[in-house]
Amino acid sequence: MRAIRRFFHRLLSPARRRRDEERLQIEIEEHLRLQAEEIARAGLSPAEARRQAVLKFGAVEAVKESYRDQRGFVLVETVIQDVRQALRRLRSARTFTIATVLTLALGIGATTSIFTLAHAVLLKSLPVVNPGQLYRLGKESRCCFYGGWNQKDEFSLVSYDLYTRLRDNTKGFEELAASSAGGDLFGIRRTGVAEPAQSYPGEYVSGNYFSMFGIRPYAGRALAPEDDRKGVPAVAMMSYRLWEQKYGSDRSVIGSVFNFDDKPVTVVGITPPGFFGEQLRDPPPDFYLPLHSADATDLVSPNEHWLNLIGRIRPGVNPASIELEMRTELKQWLLSHWSEMSANDRALFPEQTLYLRPGGAGISGMRDQYEHWLRILLMVSGLVLVIVCANVANLMLVRGMERRQQTSLCIALGAQPGRVVQEALTESLLLSLLGGAAGVVIAFAGARVILDLAFPAQPGLAGVPIHASPSMPVLLFACIASLATGIAFGIGPAWMAARTDPIEALRGAGRSSSRTGAFPRKALVMLQAALSLALLSASGLLTTTLRRLENQDFGFIQDRRLVVNADARQAGYRQEQLTPLYQRIHDSLAAIPAVKAVALCIYSPMGNNYWGASIWVDGHAPPGPREDNVAGWDRATTGYFDVIGNPIIRGRGITDQDTETSRHVAIINEAFARKFIGKEDPIGKHFGQYGPGSERQYEIVGVAKDARYFNFALDKPVAPIFVLPERQHDFLPIAGHPEASPSSHFMRNIVIELRPGASPPIAQIRQILASLAPDMPIISIRTMKEQVAGNFTQQRLIARLTSLFGLLSLLLASIGLYGVTAYNAGRRTGEIGVRMAVGADRGHIIALVLSGALWLIVPGLLLGVPLTMAASRVLGHQLYGTNPYDPAVISIAALALGLSGFAASLVPAIRASLISPVEALHAEG
Amino acid sequence: MVLQGTLALMVLKTLDVLGPLHGYGIVRRIEQISGGLLNVNQGTLYPVLLKLEQEGSIASEWGASENNRKARYYRLTRAGRKQLDAETREWEQHAAVIARFFTVKAEDLK
Repeated sequence: MRAIRRFFHRLLSPARRRRDEERLQIEIEEHLRLQAEEIARAGLSPAEARRQAVLKFGAVEAVKESYRDQRGFVLVETVIQDVRQALRRLRSARTFTIATVLTLALGIGATTSIFTLAHAVLLKSLPVVNPGQLYRLGKESRCCFYGGWNQKDEFSLVSYDLYTRLRDNTKGFEELAASSAGGDLFGIRRTGVAEPAQSYPGEYVSGNYFSMFGIRPYAGRALAPEDDRKGVPAVAMMSYRLWEQKYGSDRSVIGSVFNFDDKPVTVVGITPPGFFGEQLRDPPPDFYLPLHSADATDLVSPNEHWLNLIGRIRPGVNPASIELEMRTELKQWLLSHWSEMSANDRALFPEQTLYLRPGGAGISGMRDQYEHWLRILLMVSGLVLVIVCANVANLMLVRGMERRQQTSLCIALGAQPGRVVQEALTESLLLSLLGGAAGVVIAFAGARVILDLAFPAQPGLAGVPIHASPSMPVLLFACIASLATGIAFGIGPAWMAARTDPIEALRGAGRSSSRTGAFPRKALVMLQAALSLALLSASGLLTTTLRRLENQDFGFIQDRRLVVNADARQAGYRQEQLTPLYQRIHDSLAAIPAVKAVALCIYSPMGNNYWGASIWVDGHAPPGPREDNVAGWDRATTGYFDVIGNPIIRGRGITDQDTETSRHVAIINEAFARKFIGKEDPIGKHFGQYGPGSERQYEIVGVAKDARYFNFALDKPVAPIFVLPERQHDFLPIAGHPEASPSSHFMRNIVIELRPGASPPIAQIRQILASLAPDMPIISIRTMKEQVAGNFTQQRLIARLTSLFGLLSLLLASIGLYGVTAYNAGRRTGEIGVRMAVGADRGHIIALVLSGALWLIVPGLLLGVPLTMAASRVLGHQLYGTNPYDPAVISIAALALGLSGFAASLVPAIRASLISPVEALHAEG
Repeated sequence: MVLQGTLALMVLKTLDVLGPLHGYGIVRRIEQISGGLLNVNQGTLYPVLLKLEQEGSIASEWGASENNRKARYYRLTRAGRKQLDAETREWEQHAAVIARFFTVKAEDLK
């Protein structure tokens, strides 16, 4: 009750502040007078009586302060008061304020922009109804396709058969939806419109996909379970983006028929803007089709796993119990296929399991991919922020030193140390919040630029659905970062201020003999040097790694090579039409004068994914259940190895003699020979990829030199690979068994070798392809160099950003060093004057000042070495085998830091040496 | 140093016994009885007075001092009297308990 009454009193009190203040003044005055009169009665002089009365009363200012504390909401009032005062002070020191705010803006902006990206990629929920209820299958996301009856560590991709079983038997899910894990590209053309087909990304989704997410169509209707059945008319939903950008939000698009890979599909609805599917993809899908419009084999084969699962659980159901339910279901499903499983599959049966994870953020392929990078960038920008803090703290210390006299006067007058600290901190926080506000602007611009660089826009396609727009969490982050920064750089100077000796005020002229503040400032500069060394070394390591990656010996030739990306499947070609089509394409392109040779393949080197196979070698023991017998494979036309410039070191490459009817051959690389054949001569050996009974499927006729075909595992030795002729089809020696891997006959890449000096005949190539296969969209034409470099876009960005941050830190550290050196030289003006008066020459003075700076840089560098080691360890495997403790890199970084530190301290050193001794001594006096 | 809250209790008791007083009067009275408790820190009384007034335990008004100058007079309110009674009881209880602890001898506990 009393507390409440007091609360209202205090609430109302600002209005009566002045009156109260007057009242207290009157009361104190009367108190002192009465006390003095009483003392005077004992016979003391009025002046002495007054003095004693004041002594007895105690510190008047402290009483007033405490009185004010009682009166109102202390915090609010003193904060407002302090803010006003701090603003006044900052306004009077404009240069200092602008410089500090800009420095802070850089640091906070850098950190916030990286956080914006991290938030969008790592933390953000899907734009769907109640994302908290969503759960997905799999601890980690996998891409595309898994075959067989076992998956390492966990079942994270499932077949259609397994999906329906889990969907129908897991009671804890309100809805369980499936979507294709690999991105599919479709050749799309609106029927009745004379335009070439264009390639757009699409995704197969289960009929309940949209209802599970609670996504309503923007226009038309959403896909429904009725659409996802055998024999119903083919339908699809189009993305809002495509509808708006390509069709101008034309309503007639809904209900009209489009050709998808030359099959008619009716577009029934438009997805809402902002919806990008169940995972971040670059580019996001523009079409959603029911699972039943996928290839029939994908729906029928129980052991071809190509679906991601995500579902909405019933309210109140424990996800752990659903997980258990699903595990049991998985085991029962495997048991129901026991007869189809091999001995190896059966041996692995006991360890097959699955995991359910929160799916509010969707399937997290991109997250898994970029998490480490974002962490590194967050760390790097955080270090920059720390350096910024150190720099600003240094500036604040200097300011604090200049204000020393004022502070000591305040304390002498009875100001409480707490208030002095509060005042100093208010100034710091104000600066950091101003810097933070400017930093947010930098952050959004920066995040936008980084996004554009990290995910270069592909013409006609949607950009990656990551938005660098302001959001609550990001603003909150910037705010917290600013406050933390303000405290970080303000606490030291504030503490120093609180320790100010009131006696100093009486010494006058601010001629302080104490050297307080010198050590903290030096420590800050050392810290900066240490952090800069770590940052510079990190950027050096990343840049070296990038150079090494880009300039490594790939084993194939990048010069004078073009890669055309086009898929005949998108034009609705059937298998039997392919070989003649490829022959025509080859002959027509090879007839261009600028072209030296042409070959087609599924995947050209460093272009994309590769197909995987389990290898069974003829005459060798069959692989055990846990044995790694995986090799990548590719299919290509005659002369492929010559066209990409990968030398054959034994036997031969693919030739025209490898036809449908000739013996089935394979060309392997050295890694394949080492892994599967051993020391024997590989030529003439047989192997297969379809399990027991297929060991004599291919005969090895050639060995190619190891070359980097895969654009992953770049830090590991070249992986084994084999290449099959385009014309030969894999029929197993089992009666009635259909052809294996029929879709491997769709060649997606045309590699063209140009004659020396010829310019790329892009227009001619387009024209020829358009005349040969008018419906086949050309996804891209680029040089092999661009294809290879495209793999390092992100690495390049990270290396550049880190270098930028490194240079920034170098600059800041140099400024810090300059400041301290100049300040110290200034303090020693008198000493220098004396030294010069007794005969020291300029060189001597320069050496004197420089050695002071050296004593800051060298310990800083030494301190930086363990820090650098730690940073290198964080970079870890992102260095692709570059030695993380590369002494050359660290030495260069140290040298750069040393040189710029030298340059920064040379200026004040020279200035000190130019002092005339007379003037210096005069100043001292 | 004055115990937290003790000064407030002393103020209330003083006003209860002597009726309306100005700040200096309260200080004098407390000094007389406590023997120089506020000898060097008389000023600390005023924040306490303000707090008590905000809580409604005392009220104040302008009046004339002994020398006919303007002075602020404080008096106990009804709420203040109730608070004083409650706190007096509480204080006596505390004091009694502590006193028992100080007087107890080892043989009393056998």
